[in-house]
Amino acid sequence: MTTGQRAAAPVRGAVSLLRAAAAHPAYGWGTAFVALLGLPLLVSNGYQQYLLDLIMINIVLAVGLNIVKGFAGQVNVGHLAIAAIGAYTSAVLSTKFGMTFWFALPLATLSAGIVGAVVGVPSFRLEGAYLALATLGLAESVRIFIAVTDYLGASIGYGDIPPPIIAGWRLDSYAAYYYVVMPIAVAGTYIAFSILHSDIGRAFKAIREDTLAAAAAGIAVRKYKLLAFLISALYAGCAGSLAAHMAPGFIHPDDFNLTRMITVILMVVAGGLGHVWGGVIGAALITLIAEWTRSYYQYEFIIFGLIVVLTMMYMPRGIGGYIDRRLATRRFVAQRRGKTAANMT
Amino acid sequence: MTALLEISGLTKRFGGLTALSNLSMKVEEGEIRGVIGPNGSGKSTLFNLVTGVYPADPGSLVRFRGENITNREPHEIAQRGLARTFQLLRIFVEMTVIENLLVGCHRQISYGIGGALFGAANVRAAERRVRAEMLELLDFVGLADFAEMPAGELSIGQRRLLALGRAMAMKPTLLMLDEPAAGLSPVNVDKLLETVLALKARYGLTVVLVEHVMKLVMASCDVITVLDHGEKIAEGSPDAIRDDHGVIEAYLGKEMQDAEVRAFLRSA
Repeated sequence: MTTGQRAAAPVRGAVSLLRAAAAHPAYGWGTAFVALLGLPLLVSNGYQQYLLDLIMINIVLAVGLNIVKGFAGQVNVGHLAIAAIGAYTSAVLSTKFGMTFWFALPLATLSAGIVGAVVGVPSFRLEGAYLALATLGLAESVRIFIAVTDYLGASIGYGDIPPPIIAGWRLDSYAAYYYVVMPIAVAGTYIAFSILHSDIGRAFKAIREDTLAAAAAGIAVRKYKLLAFLISALYAGCAGSLAAHMAPGFIHPDDFNLTRMITVILMVVAGGLGHVWGGVIGAALITLIAEWTRSYYQYEFIIFGLIVVLTMMYMPRGIGGYIDRRLATRRFVAQRRGKTAANMT
Repeated sequence: MTALLEISGLTKRFGGLTALSNLSMKVEEGEIRGVIGPNGSGKSTLFNLVTGVYPADPGSLVRFRGENITNREPHEIAQRGLARTFQLLRIFVEMTVIENLLVGCHRQISYGIGGALFGAANVRAAERRVRAEMLELLDFVGLADFAEMPAGELSIGQRRLLALGRAMAMKPTLLMLDEPAAGLSPVNVDKLLETVLALKARYGLTVVLVEHVMKLVMASCDVITVLDHGEKIAEGSPDAIRDDHGVIEAYLGKEMQDAEVRAFLRSA
C-alpha cells in the first residue's frame, strides 16, 4: 500500500460524509437560509430593504394560498380577509392589551386559523365559482366591518402598532425587521414543502383532482378540506400580523381589498398553482412588478392582465409548473434510457 | 361463518325509476364474483350503493365482514378494506403514475401533523419504503416503466391497469371492479384475466366484478349474479348461467334464435 492510498482513505471518508450531508434536505435549506441572511447587505437603500421585507411577507401569504387553492383545489378569495383578521388581531393585542409582538403574532395567527377553518365549511357543498362567491362575500364583509368599526380605526386606518423588540432593541428599521420576516418565510416554505410531500399533501392533491376517487381511496374529504383551509389561514394570519408590525406600524382596510387580493392570486397563478417554489418565485416577482408599476398605477391592471394572459398561453401551470414539467420529462427519459441500457447488457 | 359481503333487501329508487329492487346476495371470502346484466340493469348502482356513493333506500342492509356499513360514507367504507375501481376510471391525471398508487396507500400511512410538518427522518424513511412497495405493485400490473410518467399521458388500457393498481395499493379485503375490461384489446383482456386470477392466487383477494366482456367473466368467476331491470334473475356457476334461458332472453331479447345466443355466450 502506498502512502497516497493510505492518505486517500480519510479523504474519501470526508468526501462521502460531505456528500451525505449535501443529500440531506436540511443542507439545501440551511444554505438558502445563510444566503438570505446576507441579502439586506447587498441592497443599498431603505426602500429596497422595505421591498425585501414585503417580498418575505408576500411569500408567506402566497405559500398559504397555494396550499388551499393550488394543492387542495379550493378557491378562497377570502385569503386576504383572513390576513386582515390576523393583522387587526395583532394590532389590537399589542396596542390595547400591551402585548409584545412575540405574543401577538402567534395569537393572531391562531385566531386567523380558526376563522379560516370556519370559512372552509362551505367548501363541503360548494365548488369552483360558487365557493369563490361565498368566500368573496366573507372577504368584503370583513373589510367593510373593519372600515366602519371605530374601535379598529374605521376607514382612517389603525396606527402606532409597535415593532418587535428584542432585549430593548426596537426592530423598526426595514433592515432589522428583515431578520424577523425572513426566517418566518423560510420556515413557512419549508413546512409547506414537507406537508405537501407527505400523505397529507397527496390527500390534498387527490381531492383537487377528484373528490369521489379520493374518498374511494379512503381519504376523509371534508376533514382534509378543512385542514387545507386551516393551514392556509394560519399562513394568512401570520402574514397579516407581520405586515401590521412592520414600520411604520400602520394598517388600513384598503390594504386588504379585492384589488390587493387579485395581486395575491396573481402571485400564485404566475408562480404555479400547486407548486411551492413557484408560489415563492411568483410572490417575489409580482411584489416587485407591483412596486415598479406603482407610479403608473392606473395601468396596473393592464400589466397584470397581460401577465395572466401570457402565463396562461405559455406556462399554464405557472413558472413552477413549467420547471417541474421539464424535470419530470427528464426523469422519465432517464428512467427509460436506464431500462434500455440494462436490457442491452 | 358469515360471508365477507352480505347484501339484503338492497333497494334504490331514483324518483319513479327503480334502479335496484330488493337485491340480496352473499359473497364468500376468496371468491371471484361476476355481476352481469344488460345496460341499465343496476350493476353500477349496486356498486355505488355498496361503496357509499349513493344512499340506499330504507330497508337495505349491507354487511361487510359482519359489520353493518349501510349508508356509511365512501371513505369510511374504503378504510374498512373495501376498494373499488370506477367505470370512468377517475385516475388522478395530474399526478404521476406512482403518486396515484401512493394515494391508494392512504389507508396504511399516517404521519400525523407533526411528522408531516417537519418532514421528520422517519417520515422520509417510511416514504421510501412505501415507494419501493408501490414499485413492486406497478410491476405486478405491468406499469413499472411508467412510474414517473404523468398519469394523464397513459393510454386507456394503461389507465385501466393503473386504476386497478390504485385499488390494490389499498391492500383491500374485497376488491370491486367496475367494467375493468371495457375498451381493452383482446390481448389486453387476456392479460387482465391473468391479473384477476393472480389477484386471487397471490393476494387471496375476494373480487366482485361487473363486466360485459363475457370471456373474462366466464373464465375468471366462481359465481355469477345476473341482474335485469334492477332485479336478480339468476345466480350460479358460469356453466349454469351459460345455459340459463332467462339470462339469454334478458341479454339478447326474445327474437334471437337460441343457437345464435349460445354461440354468443360460448364465444366467450
